[in-house]
Amino acid sequence: MKTASRLKVDQRDAKLVMAHFYVAFISLAIGGMAGLLQVLVRSGLFELPAGIGYYQLLTLHGVVLALVLTTYFIMGFQIAAVSRTSGTLTAVQRKLGWTGFIIMTIGTAMAAIMILLNEASVLYTFYAPLQAHAVFYLGLAFVIVGSWFGSAVILLKYRQWRKENNKAVSPLLTFMAVVNSIMWIVATIGVAATVLLQLLPWSLGLVETINVGVSRTLFWYFGHPLVYFWLLPAYMAWYVIIPKIIGAKIFSDSLARFSFILFLLFSIPVGFHHQLMEPGIDATWKFLQVVLTFIVIIPSLMTAFSLFATFEGYGRSQGAKGLFGWLKKLPWKDARFVVPFIGMVAFIPGGAGGIINASNQMNQVVHNTIWVTGHFHLTVATTVLLTFFGISYWLVPHLTGRILTKEMNNLAITQGVLWFVGMTIMSGAMHAAGLLGAPRRSSFSEYGGSSVAADWIPYQVAQGIGGSILFLSIILMLYIFINLAFFSPKGEQDFPVGEAGHEAEKTPKVFENWKIWIGITVALILFAYTIPFIDLIQNAPPGSKGYKLW
Amino acid sequence: MAQPETVKKQKKGEEEPSFKGAFVSVLIVGLFIIITWFGVFILFNYRF
Ligand code: HEM
Ligand SMILES: [Cu+2]
Repeated sequence: MKTASRLKVDQRDAKLVMAHFYVAFISLAIGGMAGLLQVLVRSGLFELPAGIGYYQLLTLHGVVLALVLTTYFIMGFQIAAVSRTSGTLTAVQRKLGWTGFIIMTIGTAMAAIMILLNEASVLYTFYAPLQAHAVFYLGLAFVIVGSWFGSAVILLKYRQWRKENNKAVSPLLTFMAVVNSIMWIVATIGVAATVLLQLLPWSLGLVETINVGVSRTLFWYFGHPLVYFWLLPAYMAWYVIIPKIIGAKIFSDSLARFSFILFLLFSIPVGFHHQLMEPGIDATWKFLQVVLTFIVIIPSLMTAFSLFATFEGYGRSQGAKGLFGWLKKLPWKDARFVVPFIGMVAFIPGGAGGIINASNQMNQVVHNTIWVTGHFHLTVATTVLLTFFGISYWLVPHLTGRILTKEMNNLAITQGVLWFVGMTIMSGAMHAAGLLGAPRRSSFSEYGGSSVAADWIPYQVAQGIGGSILFLSIILMLYIFINLAFFSPKGEQDFPVGEAGHEAEKTPKVFENWKIWIGITVALILFAYTIPFIDLIQNAPPGSKGYKLW
Repeated sequence: MAQPETVKKQKKGEEEPSFKGAFVSVLIVGLFIIITWFGVFILFNYRF
């Protein structure tokens, strides 16, 4: 009885998860449309119809894709994963989940309306001294607070499971969702602080000026863990779900938990790597955070090895020979595998680019160029997103009591391949143009006939072509989502959850000693931030008034 | 026509699974990282 109820996400929980997914995929439609318009404008062949500003469009694109789509999908997926592996939510937990969803959605609507009214064209990083309408900041605050409710659901369920199971080692997917939720809560405190204590009073006119350095530092204290908040759910799928899909065992439960713990420790005290070109922060502290940043390479390569090993182990169990014979044995006709696999491949150039970005002085080469945009369209907009799409292909029908049909599966593979082709062209052209100095966040311009700028234009046309292919892929994804949510034949679609191999050792209990891990996390944050933060306040230049430059 | 699940492919005395391919793959990833990094490093030295 107990196991049976655990194999499927309860219908009531499924509704909550699907509510999150509806918002996520509506965001994909809006953001994809904006992305298409951006590449067309930047190719120089198209102008926005009267009234829409380029920065208004770009703000919409960044906010709905990088902030809204990701947060909603992740909240939904983590709730589904915990409900599946630790049991159905209690009525109270579910109510908390809905409360969070409603608060986030009110906040999203507030922010979206302000962007559409052209009152908040401050881009998705809402950097001061650009100043948006107060309602925009209030909306952001609602989104953050709402997400805390969703995170609380995960933590409460986890605590309940541990209580009911005599503190046994928790299910791996639940453990991972807990790590990500803790990281999210610790990180969002920073952005909540700048929004509520600095940006909101300043936009309301309660204070004249703002300490720009402090607000950007608080933003990036949140901004880097934000990218790991996107990535860890993808890793959940890679470590636990993909092995089951291909018919293999999890390579090592302990290794997976250990790498998640490392991500918790080293994702937060590293925000300065986004501020390497900024004044007001001592070079020593920048260097220290660069070193901490590089530690994340360790769990990243651990993850890579673990995945390759899962694939190889499976291939060899099927009789694969030679060094790479196992590659042929993988299920290349199964979209649930192929689409996330493309995402994994994209993470190789994505990660390599990230190391370059974070290399202290070398950041000068790429800073604020379109290279950076090319970089995160690989990491978040391919690696993370294709994994989320790959999850949706089985999770949506699982939740709606339908199945992923053969046709939809094949269409889904086409979707992934189109994404790969479009993104290779768009992101490749962005990387190349960036190295030639082309700036990001800029509409089409010939820069007064400069010959340097003229060199960028062919790359912008290439981005237009790649971006258009990407847009087709988004249309396909939306079509498949609607099909799986409303029209696909009724049936039982499996929620795959892998098990650790029999030879895997017992998982050490220390991984669930949260006092230690949260303690070290906080200690590292205090170490990396306290002195430079005091410096930013004590030796601050005069504050800045707000600017509305659009 | 369900397959009987008890049929084990595993044989007794089977040797440790080989992860040579995985190891070499990670080395290739590492090499790719190093090459791209030096590519931009050269550009950096040239410009600054
Ligand atoms: C049809 C697909 C897409 C196209 C054609 C596209 C195109 C673009 C372009 C051209 C820019 C840079 C414009 C500039 O700097 O002036 C941009 C920025 C951005 N894109 Fe996309 N994109 C697409 C999908 C996505 C997805 C799926 C995500 C995230 C999940 C995403 C996240 C972002 C973010 C965060 C920015 C930065 C905005 C800023 O600089 O403020 N994009 N996109
Ligand atoms: Cu970062």
